[in-house]
Amino acid sequence: MSGVTKGSSTSGLTESEAKEFHSIFVSSFIIFTVVAIIAHILVWQWRPWLPGVNGYSTSLLDGVQFVKSFLV
Amino acid sequence: MWRVWLLFDPRRALVALFVFLFVLALLIHFILLSTDRFNWIEGPHHGALTTMQAAPK
Repeated sequence: MSGVTKGSSTSGLTESEAKEFHSIFVSSFIIFTVVAIIAHILVWQWRPWLPGVNGYSTSLLDGVQFVKSFLV
Repeated sequence: MWRVWLLFDPRRALVALFVFLFVLALLIHFILLSTDRFNWIEGPHHGALTTMQAAPK
């Protein structure tokens, strides 16, 4: 990108414009991701996906207990 | 990373991203609605052997 001078980039943006847009883009992406994470937590509480070895009949909390047995 | 906006036009990139995310979201929601467990409108159907808790008649 050494040949990029003001206004001659492929997209037509200057470096300052690209930086400005990038800051907005990153903050928007973070907000979007946080909302998505919250939504996934709520859906997991409603009905967890990823069934256990015995299907959905056994709670996935069993898996959590299993992992916890290693930690505690 | 900001140099990516020197390569890609932000307007086109945003439109492409929004269209992609919308189609992906639509696809995932319809897939979930088509399943028995994750249908949040009609809920699970107990007609078949979907659960082990079906009361015997």
